[in-house]
Amino acid sequence: MSNYKKTIGIEVHCELKTNNKIFSPALSNYGSMANTNVNVIDLGYPGTLPVLNMDVVKLALKACKVLNLNVSRKMHFDRKNYFYPDLPKGFQITQALTPIGTHGYIEVTKKDGTKKRIDILEMHIEEDTCKSVHGEKNSLLDFNRAGVPLIEIVTEPCMETSEEAVLYLTKLRELLLYAGVSDCKIEEGSMRCDTNVSISKTEEWGTKVETKNIGSISNVGVAIEYEAKRQEEILESGGKIIPETRRFDDKSLSTISMRVKEVGNDYRYFPEPDIPYLNIDDKFIDDNTNDLVRMPDERRESYKEAGINPINIEKIIANKDISDYLEKFLDINLVVASNLLLGDIASYLNKNDVTIDKTHLTDSKFRDLVNRLDKNEISNKIFKEILVDLMENDLSIDEILSNKGLNLVSDKEEIKKTVSEILDKYSDLVNQYKSGNERASKAIMGMIMKETRGSLSPALANEVMMELLNE
Amino acid sequence: MKCGDKMDKLTREEVEHVAHLARIGLSEDDITRYQVELKKMIDEIDKIKTMSDFDEEFMISPCKNEVPLDNGKVDNIETDNILKNVPKKKGNFVEVPVMVNE
Amino acid sequence: MSKYIDKSLNEIHEALVKGEIKPVDLVNECLDRINKNNLNAFITMNDKVIEEAKELEKMEVPKDDLFFGIPIAIKDNIMVNGMLCTCASKILSNFEAIYDAGVIDLVKEHHMLIIGKTNMDEFAMGSTSETSYYGTPINPWNKERVPGGSSGGSAVSVAGRLVPLALGSDTGGSIRQPSSFNGIVGMKPSYGRVSRYGLVAFASSLDQIGPMTRNVLENANLLNVICGKDDRDMTSVETNEDFTRLIGKPLKDFKVAIPNYFLSDFVDSEVRNKVLEIKEMLEKNNVKVDMVDINHIDMAVILYQIIAMGEASSNLARFDGIRYGYSYPDPENLEDLYLKTRQYGFGNEVKRRIMVGSYILSGENAKIYYSKAMQIRDDLQKSFKKIFSEYNLIIGPSAARCAYPLNSGKDDPLHCFMDDILVMHANMGGFPCISIPIGFNSEKLPIGLQILGNNFDEATIYQLASFIEKELNLDLEGGKVSE
Repeated sequence: MSNYKKTIGIEVHCELKTNNKIFSPALSNYGSMANTNVNVIDLGYPGTLPVLNMDVVKLALKACKVLNLNVSRKMHFDRKNYFYPDLPKGFQITQALTPIGTHGYIEVTKKDGTKKRIDILEMHIEEDTCKSVHGEKNSLLDFNRAGVPLIEIVTEPCMETSEEAVLYLTKLRELLLYAGVSDCKIEEGSMRCDTNVSISKTEEWGTKVETKNIGSISNVGVAIEYEAKRQEEILESGGKIIPETRRFDDKSLSTISMRVKEVGNDYRYFPEPDIPYLNIDDKFIDDNTNDLVRMPDERRESYKEAGINPINIEKIIANKDISDYLEKFLDINLVVASNLLLGDIASYLNKNDVTIDKTHLTDSKFRDLVNRLDKNEISNKIFKEILVDLMENDLSIDEILSNKGLNLVSDKEEIKKTVSEILDKYSDLVNQYKSGNERASKAIMGMIMKETRGSLSPALANEVMMELLNE
Repeated sequence: MKCGDKMDKLTREEVEHVAHLARIGLSEDDITRYQVELKKMIDEIDKIKTMSDFDEEFMISPCKNEVPLDNGKVDNIETDNILKNVPKKKGNFVEVPVMVNE
Repeated sequence: MSKYIDKSLNEIHEALVKGEIKPVDLVNECLDRINKNNLNAFITMNDKVIEEAKELEKMEVPKDDLFFGIPIAIKDNIMVNGMLCTCASKILSNFEAIYDAGVIDLVKEHHMLIIGKTNMDEFAMGSTSETSYYGTPINPWNKERVPGGSSGGSAVSVAGRLVPLALGSDTGGSIRQPSSFNGIVGMKPSYGRVSRYGLVAFASSLDQIGPMTRNVLENANLLNVICGKDDRDMTSVETNEDFTRLIGKPLKDFKVAIPNYFLSDFVDSEVRNKVLEIKEMLEKNNVKVDMVDINHIDMAVILYQIIAMGEASSNLARFDGIRYGYSYPDPENLEDLYLKTRQYGFGNEVKRRIMVGSYILSGENAKIYYSKAMQIRDDLQKSFKKIFSEYNLIIGPSAARCAYPLNSGKDDPLHCFMDDILVMHANMGGFPCISIPIGFNSEKLPIGLQILGNNFDEATIYQLASFIEKELNLDLEGGKVSE
């Protein structure tokens, strides 16, 4: 066991789910063909000016709320000046002096059951750079991503293990996802994690090394372990750690040096004169955060109380669509409901590549279904038989069952009562039978099925009818 | 960074440093002339160092507007040929010499 | 031969309404003068202007739109869709605007006819228009003298009576100083009065577009139509007033301040005396004129330079040869593309300012220079506002001297500091400020008076300016080109 102590800080960039870019009205959707969601502002044309999209601020406020950050009431934006082809204006508009959120935290639970509070230093709003792809001699630029809104969340250097870092990121991702702030897809780059790792044998921090481009949360853990080990080997062999930026290589699961940091990055920050002060008050904050849905931990608690097993709880939480759907049905049997949603309904949806709201399974139908299954009014077998109809037909469960001849009364006493009433009604047919016309029993049976719209179990109904006829 | 203390011109390195910050290439003649010219300008703006007795309050611009809390109309700014002025293109992309630092 | 274009805007408008002339006649008069007299006022001519003028013939001349069919010149740092917008720089020498500036939307809405884009100091950095990549425009009052700058081409085009109207931009006197050198009326409106959308930024917290005209009334009228809130400029403001409304109204209980600093020894004595004559004239008309001291007024130019260069270094970072403009043709690598594009694309004045601006914002310097300057700027604005709480307006010379000989300060990096020294206070405080001609020096060169008002109080400025104009009744046709 190493006697070096790790100190880890994490910076996360998340793209916000707004329709438009942060400072231009172009669509914030960079899946399109290169340089199509681009206007003169995004391209940094001379004469253009930024216009702040308030939807960005509103989403950032939601993020502040779930990350327990203090919200700045008076803000301005700052220019971070540096030259790089992905930065169209030669500066990035960010919040250096007045980040929207400061001093927050989230709490994680470690494998050993202990809780750890991860302190967040600050969260600020900024614009994304453009996307570049690199050939051997040239790079190609696509400005669709330029100006997509980002939040950057910076922790204190307060984590000591890769486990804590992974737990922090998992929790952070979950919160931002549930707050509807970002879709947090690391693979697609809408969430990006950079780590700062240093090691030391003493209380004094060592030299920190930044690692960028880590493609998954679990790889953040791998990268931290690799980096700590690399640094330890250097120190043990008498070397010195160079402050630098490295990138994670997911093929070799190692970090590779990108650039040695210039002595004190000189970003020449100054306040952005083109955007006036942004003043917000408590009412504005409340108005834009009171529609937040329940966060995952609260939901986990409900699921646990309802008796859902831990594996399924995590499966539900991992699928926000399912969890959000369940929020409407907290008063019914959640075990049954969640089994359906994780099981047969999920398979159906996957197989047909649809979402539940695009099917005919309305909320009331789902509620009815769960209640019937819960009360054993419908067997699991019958449920499987009617699943497709439930999803694809605009019919009630009763209608589906009767159409399929599945909604069958099987209580013999009840059948007897119904059948005798029908026999009374068609006494002439009964008399025909009794006077020897055996074929009249078929006609009588037809009447029973017609009168009950096929709601009786045919076998039982026939049996009861014969009994009554032959009495 | 401080430039040109107590000298009548900037050092070569000082000129090269600010030129690098500004990404401006320099010829030998440029360096010589800027050593003198930039020094004159910096001496002039250094007079601010003699100023004291001022309020902490900070101005970002004379604009007294505040950001309106709701978005006004969001009209996309359509332009016919957004890549019209691009010096080097490849297909729909803007081309530059390879970005080595990525 | 008296041309229609020399008549007052009201008279031209009447002639258009009556059908005596057509917009294309006005355009032809302008083009005729421009072609016969090379003042190098324009960088790019609008080759569609005749077509556009003829297009207007299909419309009835609206009786209430004074500007319908009137030719106008636009400074070449304002975007006009489809026309080159060079900022008088090599780095934008091939740059075609693909959108209209906010003011151009309004110019077009009022059916003014854009004659061309006017010459200027490169990126508006200069006070003589000598830093233009396209050569210096000629001062029509005296060809040996500078036309002033940076809106030199706009000033020259109005002074030479090539066009009746022009737009300029003013970051630290760039409308008012050339207006005074050319005997015309130039207004830098309050910060926010006119949309900056589509104005190539020099120093964002100081820049403002304004009207340059032959007289005060036409100036107020032009401001009436180019001002207003633009959703694309968050610093612009709504305007619901008529800037001509106080013109001709008596100067009742009027109080005017002259800062002692504005009549310091560095101001040419002929200029000083002319301002003192105005003081006397106003006093005779029962205007109270006091000499005052204003805190920080003497050091403001240092603060101004710090702010202007700091912001410029950032605003001009976008010119890198990647998305538009001049691009060094065979760079060895990315770094080389940046360095050579900017080395060869920018002129000396611009490069010096960008470098010093980068220095100003670099590391700890940002605090020592820029932040401190913005703090004292706030105090400076307050000390001017204190004056405005007691006085209607502040007056002083628009420039310390009349148009001076060409090439006299071209290679002096501090030259501009001197030219900005009296005029940049208005930009620092966001105040409106006009320059009007008040006479001539012994060499028959125009002298300008600047009138500075409180934020958004242009109307009072126009009231006094128009009063002085009427009292003096100067012949300002001395710059008019020969037919």
